[in-house]
Amino acid sequence: MSTTSIFIMIFGVSLVSLLPRILPIALLSRLTFPPLMIRWLSYVAPAVLGALTALSVLAPQGRIDISAGNLFIWAFIPTLFSAIKTRSLFITLIVGILSMALLYNLV
Amino acid sequence: MKKQELLQGMRDSIPIVLGYFPLGFAFGVLAVQVGLSIFQAGLMSILCFTGAGQYIAIGVMQAGGAVVTAILANILVNLRYFLFATSMVPHFKDLPAVPASLLSYGLTDETYAVAINRYQTKPATIAYMAGLNLTSHLAWITSTFIGAALGMLITNTDQYGFGFALPAMYTCLMVLMISKKSDIIAAICGALACLLMGYFFPESMANMSNIIIATLVGATIGVMIHEYD
Repeated sequence: MSTTSIFIMIFGVSLVSLLPRILPIALLSRLTFPPLMIRWLSYVAPAVLGALTALSVLAPQGRIDISAGNLFIWAFIPTLFSAIKTRSLFITLIVGILSMALLYNLV
Repeated sequence: MKKQELLQGMRDSIPIVLGYFPLGFAFGVLAVQVGLSIFQAGLMSILCFTGAGQYIAIGVMQAGGAVVTAILANILVNLRYFLFATSMVPHFKDLPAVPASLLSYGLTDETYAVAINRYQTKPATIAYMAGLNLTSHLAWITSTFIGAALGMLITNTDQYGFGFALPAMYTCLMVLMISKKSDIIAAICGALACLLMGYFFPESMANMSNIIIATLVGATIGVMIHEYD
């Protein structure tokens, strides 16, 4: 790619990646949604987090890997446990990172 | 008050910063290998702030693809933010529209997960959004520059376990987000839909359209069983 193409690519990607985040807030924030819509939107977060957690643990390299060799699955167990027990993001993060470091260096 | 909100946002961004560092670093390394200058790699992280989208764009570049291909792929990859941002709208009703809209540029999977958790119990504020989104973005930019500049020197960050920072954060935020049975079911349905879609249509993993489908499925099932909760 030429230098010009690279800059066109960067600006193009910038535009299409930022607009979907800005536009809904800019255009819809003065609207009042009907109750059913608000309820539906309140389930977006659990659904998204379920999906992101599953993907990040079961497909850490971008393809699905459900096997004993996937260390992320093993690290997930103490991490989930500490999340439920402590409900603290900080502690969960430390437990997760330490578990992963241990697994990586020991297994 | 404002200052406290700003600081809280910055504090809440710490797990994101930890998670972004290896990702931004790796992006910087790859971008330079593919032929971007250090400045261009950094500029891309300043102007785009879309992890997967940026990786895809330089992937297209490496494969000799066209600019249009990189942009089209990014439309698809970033479409999910339309849904995420819309689910923020009810929380932003009392905020000044212009700064709220502008700061929403910093909505990512990670900042969304943190912010929507916070807004379950605390009202959204501009200062909090600024603290969370700008700190996260700054970490993304800084790590890209460092990766682009020193890429050749450091090879393996896996051994320190930072690769698990974002999965650990998602896990905890998911747990915090669950307060009733229908939430659990929405989360499980989202997870299953996402994996099944990724399994049967592997290309949906690359362009992340499986997350859009998973969100639609999970939220719809959640709302359908809401009254039985």
